[in-house]
Amino acid sequence: MNDSSRPLLQACDVSKSVSGPEGRLDILRKINLQIHAGESFAIVGASGSGKTTLLGLLAGLDTPDQGSIQLHGHALEQLDEEARADLRRRLVGFVFQSFHLLPALTAEENVMLPLELEGSGSARARAREALEAVGLGARRKHYPAQLSGGEQQRVAIARAFVHRPQLLFADEPTGNLDQRTGHHICDLLFALNRDHRTTLVLVTHDATLAARCNRGLELEEGRVLAPLKDASA
Amino acid sequence: MKMLMLALRTLRREWHLPELRTLAASLVLAVVALGVVATLAARIERGMLASAAELIGGDIGIAAPQAVPATFATAARQRGLAIARIASFPSMAFAHRQSQLLEVEAVDAGYPLRGTLELSDAAGRDFRGHAPAPGEVYLDHRALVALQLKVGQRLQLGGRELTVGAELRRQPDGGELIALAPRALMSLSDAEQAGLLGVGSRARHRLLLAGTPSAVQDWRRWVRNNPLPPDAKLVTPEQTRQRMRSAFDRAGAFLRLAALLSALLAGVAIALAAQRYARRKSTEVALLRALGTSRRRVIGLLLGTLGALALPAATVGLLVALGLAQLAWLFASPLFGSVPTQLPLAPSFAAAAMGLAVLAGFALPPLVRLADVPPVAVFRQSMPRRVRRFDALYLIPVLVALGLIWNQSSSPRLAAILAASLLGVALLAALLTGSLLWLARRLAPGAHPALRLGLAALARRRGLSVIQASALSLGLCALLLLAVVAPALLRGWRQELPADTPNWFAMNLQDAQRGSFEQAIEGIGGAHLNMLPLAVGKLTAINGQPVDRIDFGDPRTNDSADRQLRLSWSTRLPAANRVVAGRWAGAHPEHAEVSIDTVWRDRFHLKLGDTLRFRVGESRIDARIGSIRKVDWSSFRVSFFLLLDPAHARELPHTWLASFYLPRGHARALAGLSRDYTNVSLIDVDALLDRVREIVDRVGNAVRWILGFSLLAGALVLAAALAASAAERRHEAALLRTLGARRAQLRAAAACEFALLGLVAGLTAAIGAAGAGLWLGRAIFHIDGFTPPLRPLLLAALICAVVIMLLGLAGTRRVTRTSPMRLLRED
Repeated sequence: MNDSSRPLLQACDVSKSVSGPEGRLDILRKINLQIHAGESFAIVGASGSGKTTLLGLLAGLDTPDQGSIQLHGHALEQLDEEARADLRRRLVGFVFQSFHLLPALTAEENVMLPLELEGSGSARARAREALEAVGLGARRKHYPAQLSGGEQQRVAIARAFVHRPQLLFADEPTGNLDQRTGHHICDLLFALNRDHRTTLVLVTHDATLAARCNRGLELEEGRVLAPLKDASA
Repeated sequence: MKMLMLALRTLRREWHLPELRTLAASLVLAVVALGVVATLAARIERGMLASAAELIGGDIGIAAPQAVPATFATAARQRGLAIARIASFPSMAFAHRQSQLLEVEAVDAGYPLRGTLELSDAAGRDFRGHAPAPGEVYLDHRALVALQLKVGQRLQLGGRELTVGAELRRQPDGGELIALAPRALMSLSDAEQAGLLGVGSRARHRLLLAGTPSAVQDWRRWVRNNPLPPDAKLVTPEQTRQRMRSAFDRAGAFLRLAALLSALLAGVAIALAAQRYARRKSTEVALLRALGTSRRRVIGLLLGTLGALALPAATVGLLVALGLAQLAWLFASPLFGSVPTQLPLAPSFAAAAMGLAVLAGFALPPLVRLADVPPVAVFRQSMPRRVRRFDALYLIPVLVALGLIWNQSSSPRLAAILAASLLGVALLAALLTGSLLWLARRLAPGAHPALRLGLAALARRRGLSVIQASALSLGLCALLLLAVVAPALLRGWRQELPADTPNWFAMNLQDAQRGSFEQAIEGIGGAHLNMLPLAVGKLTAINGQPVDRIDFGDPRTNDSADRQLRLSWSTRLPAANRVVAGRWAGAHPEHAEVSIDTVWRDRFHLKLGDTLRFRVGESRIDARIGSIRKVDWSSFRVSFFLLLDPAHARELPHTWLASFYLPRGHARALAGLSRDYTNVSLIDVDALLDRVREIVDRVGNAVRWILGFSLLAGALVLAAALAASAAERRHEAALLRTLGARRAQLRAAAACEFALLGLVAGLTAAIGAAGAGLWLGRAIFHIDGFTPPLRPLLLAALICAVVIMLLGLAGTRRVTRTSPMRLLRED
């Protein structure tokens, strides 16, 4: 399972559609990709191209109508939601465009959440470490409303990394931030990717950000328009 | 107009929002609960008033020492009212060489206008009859025994030869407890022809009227402008004897209490739904403000939408209330006797108006406050709002609640008790929840994972948790008051009249007859015999000053000082008496002492240590006021305004007054007793006892009916409270699911959270209901020694906590199924 030659995440002929008022709408059509441990991978495309749906499928938040997704050797479409949740808890971290911090919890308590779900006994100490790592050790008692957008996203990154996931999904992580702050956040993400060998899957429409990834693909109307860099996999 | 169209469009677009539907449903339920309860209560009260009317024999009347002037009867006839005339006087009757003083009532053919005349024929068969025809007389059992007569035989009364047409079993008599002599009912024309009602007769006259409530009201208004003859007074059902009146007062208070609590419950549900709607609208308002809509226009649009929702909802509520009230009456009316009452429309319309007031009071504050949302919030939702300009608006629901309480309460005291109790419960719940959350934040890290998540969830929604717990506590408190405390109060009330309450009184017993009478009573199966001496005298001086020279400043007091009064004495303080000042004298005080009732203290401005002089026959006694008592006059016990000490009063000329319990069916045995003790008057109070017991039962039934509607209102509060946090819950669930939380983890966390919420709500509600119950029992319903049922209250509170937990879990089932994809879509 942990064979480094095997991809950590693999999608084979993945399709997804929804039924709308004007009939069936194909959101994704026969997507194929492979992502190896420690890689950084960008999914780019215009709005409505199916990026977020693909991210949801790859992270096991949803299941494809057709095709298969293998995460760490598990076929996600064969698992029920409970089993997928279990897998997410162990292997996956998330960073969202809107941060999704719980407003009534302090920065530290927000970071503790994934550890609490695991039942970890040292949640507080580990959360502090994670906050120190993103440079927010002094702000751990602050509530989200007392933090800037960049700081909130750093708390979200600390939350995503605190349980040392093998795979980190980031959905437009700089979408709500100014260029300079966005740049810092990206540096942080890539530094963690490098230092912890965490695989990074990044959804973005920012070409510069995508360019910093090892590989990637561009989506248009649910199809792979073009692989980015050496998307030979 | 443009604004109205926009409001209507907004309503159409937003109708799918659950909080708008909850708001509409709450309003409908508020109007339905208030309307049905008020209609039922109005009908029941009307029914009870009709029941009181049965006691006096008409809807209203005039009592006077001389014949009531014809103008009063004419005015009644003009208003379509039926009339009956009654004259009562004492008269000697003769038969079989026996003679007996009878209390005679001479009635015309219209009698009785309300209630029934219960008679029995020669064979002892009971039947309902009409007023006696000329030449006929009805005699009660005591009169038949005393005169050794049977139905069908003849007697002489007022110089006329009359036939005993039937035995008089029960008649509408105003609930008078002490009728001194045996009774006879004869025709008014016979009495007139016999000259019994002429000038100089001792007859008292009554004019009784009956008809539709509006005609009676109209006649009452007319009487207000046409003064009654001197010494005449109006007889109304509301003024039936003290004992009955207190029963009616309590009954009314119970029903109004029930209605009020349902209305407040609906108000809480409305407040929760409005809060949630306002929260949802804040983004939209920020956008509208950013796009240049003025604050005034925003408020106009919000109020327009609320109005467009409220008016149809109130109309639906009104129609449903009328329909349900009619349906409920079909089922409930057999419980209240066949009282002809129409469906009153006014309470339902008033309920619709009150429902709208509740909606306005509870929903406006959060909506109007939306005007404070700054346009810049469109960029940053979490921006704190610091403007406090509209905070005072939150006084509106408090004022509306107080207004409702004031409007529905029978007395300012009841209003104060309820308002204070409910406020206390809300504060206690807020305080308890606040402390619990404070504790939760500290305990959470070390707790079981499910409990930790549950505690964290409660702590996360700190403000909302406090609101939820307070609302649930208030709702539960109202329900516990209705479901647990009210029946306990009713039981306490019923226990005041246990099955073996003395139901017979014997007056005029002589010293020498006491022993044998006691044995005779035991012999016929009587029990609880209690005898008190009775001396008839006059008050002659207060602190040495002759009473006839004291001006008490009130003609009625001057008049009552001149009257004969009844005195008694006892070694022990009699039951239903409580010493409120001074000390009970006991058997052998050094100087003569008297204990007076608070009524006497207030009437004659007396205080401890004052000396009263009484003349009883040829004897005279000076007694110092040693204690002041409060007597419960609604108890069916013999009580006296004045009690002397036995050591000094023993020698006063007196007779004995006895009370005892005789099981039903043994009354025939009293016939022999009447023959052996011809000087003794026996008085049956079973009929009166039955009436009071009947009222208690009717109220019990009514409260049960009303409780059903209150339960619905309570369920709505719960639903609104749960819905209030549904959006946050879904968002959190999605996040936690994304982070890998198992469904069981979410469920266990929700179970802990709701169990805690339910526990706080149940506990505070139980404390509040117990406190309010204690207060209500003592201060409003005057049930001595009433203690709220603590164990059932706690048990009910625990059950409520479990129900809240289960319903909370059921309500979060959808939440735990929230797709984690929701989070990505929200971005």
